[in-house]
Amino acid sequence: METNIPKTSAVLSTLLRADLKTQWRNRRSVVLTLLIPVIILLSWKGIIEQVGGAFALASCITIGLTAIGLMGYSNSVARDRDKGIFQRLRVAPLPAWCIIMSRLLVQLLMILLVTTAVFFAGYYFDKITIPGQGYALAFLAAIAGGAVYLGIGQMIVGLIKNPETVNSTTRLVYFAFIMVGMLGQFGILGDEVKKMVIWSPYGTVQSILSASMEPAKWTATTTEALLVTISYAIIFSMIGIRKFQWSNK
Amino acid sequence: MSDFILDVDNLNIYYGNFQAVKNVSFHVKPGEIFGLLGPNGAGKTSTLSAVEGLLKPQSGNIVVAGYNIKDKPLYAKATMGVQLQSTNFQPELTVTEIIQLFAGIYGVELTREKLETILRDNNLQESRDKKFGQLSGGQQQRVSLSLCVIHNPKLLLLDEPTTGLDPQSRRQLWERMEAMREKGHGILLTTHSMEEAEAVCDRIAIIDHGKIIAINEPQVLIDSHRNDPEVIAASRKGKITLEDVFIGLTGRAVRV
Repeated sequence: METNIPKTSAVLSTLLRADLKTQWRNRRSVVLTLLIPVIILLSWKGIIEQVGGAFALASCITIGLTAIGLMGYSNSVARDRDKGIFQRLRVAPLPAWCIIMSRLLVQLLMILLVTTAVFFAGYYFDKITIPGQGYALAFLAAIAGGAVYLGIGQMIVGLIKNPETVNSTTRLVYFAFIMVGMLGQFGILGDEVKKMVIWSPYGTVQSILSASMEPAKWTATTTEALLVTISYAIIFSMIGIRKFQWSNK
Repeated sequence: MSDFILDVDNLNIYYGNFQAVKNVSFHVKPGEIFGLLGPNGAGKTSTLSAVEGLLKPQSGNIVVAGYNIKDKPLYAKATMGVQLQSTNFQPELTVTEIIQLFAGIYGVELTREKLETILRDNNLQESRDKKFGQLSGGQQQRVSLSLCVIHNPKLLLLDEPTTGLDPQSRRQLWERMEAMREKGHGILLTTHSMEEAEAVCDRIAIIDHGKIIAINEPQVLIDSHRNDPEVIAASRKGKITLEDVFIGLTGRAVRV
């Protein structure tokens, strides 16, 4: 009897279907991930003229990306590892990378949804318009930025095994990124912090998102921010992949 | 090609400096139920994990249905059905969705009739639309067992398969294992239940401190050790059982 190995593409699409269903059944957390950046954008209505539409949109998308990478991805991976779901998949005839690839594709969809939701809210409630090219570039910048936070999420589940500890750590890191990033960028925490924030994962992602929405304002500094963003994504992901273990035991 | 459905040869597994499995060799023939018994921490799950491809042994060879797990891991895995000790599935997915997921992973065409058969054979018809997280322990175990055989594997690896099952479900599982044996499938199971090992296993290996210390048919093991002083001391009712032999060989101390 011949041994039947299904095609990798077929296996990946089967896994993806299951992961999308799982994500859909957790739609309360999906809605929260979409709502937080939209609510922040609405709360900034009074200052949008001062800070600029692109800046406001970029900041809110960055907050959404942070939630996806830190709260969504890392916690679902930590839970499934703890429950032995990955081990059950690993004894099946499929390449291990398919398991994570399927999870990442779901997060990619979330990145596109958050970006769309913020653009929609910006246009509908705050009448923020950006050039057509700006929308396209911003989606690419959001994917690059999302990769940084997914990398951080991967690093956290690589370094920490216990799902409760992963949960509390990601909440802490999320809170720190948002508070220090937002307040620091406005200069509320002083000039030193402002400088640090500019080159932090929050600052570089916000910077490339903002510049991508107004391509005419793209400068050499933005290119540097893009390179730093890519470096962050690579470094965090490499650490996360190297340290990651499929089992908690 | 070997006549064995599973051939484990000179397996050695280390965790850091600790050697969990020491030169373990055994084989499982087609149409045989082979039991791997041992106290907690004896090396059963490590051995099984190596066969399943979940951990890489430092040395030794594992061949499943002619495929070396090192060289052809996907082919070897495609010929096995595995039930892990603590298997779990996404709690948000329903029983039907989990079956569809694993049918897709193993490349099995899941017709409506096949799905119905799987649900009926495992007493899961009523739970088909229930989410995995809503099932009882026994129902979850039955889902796990149904997925083991979804692709009609040549080798079945069952790690403590009857844990959490009620006596009826346990009996049903034994009957299904025996039916699979009749069809020529090989089964490797680990269990702490000596009653189960005695009832269903054709051959048994007792493993302790990473080494196989006895390997034979259950009755032969009982007969050959019935006069050992440790076995007689372990006997509680005068009649020597497999459990007495097991305790006699591995000691009375409780392992953690």
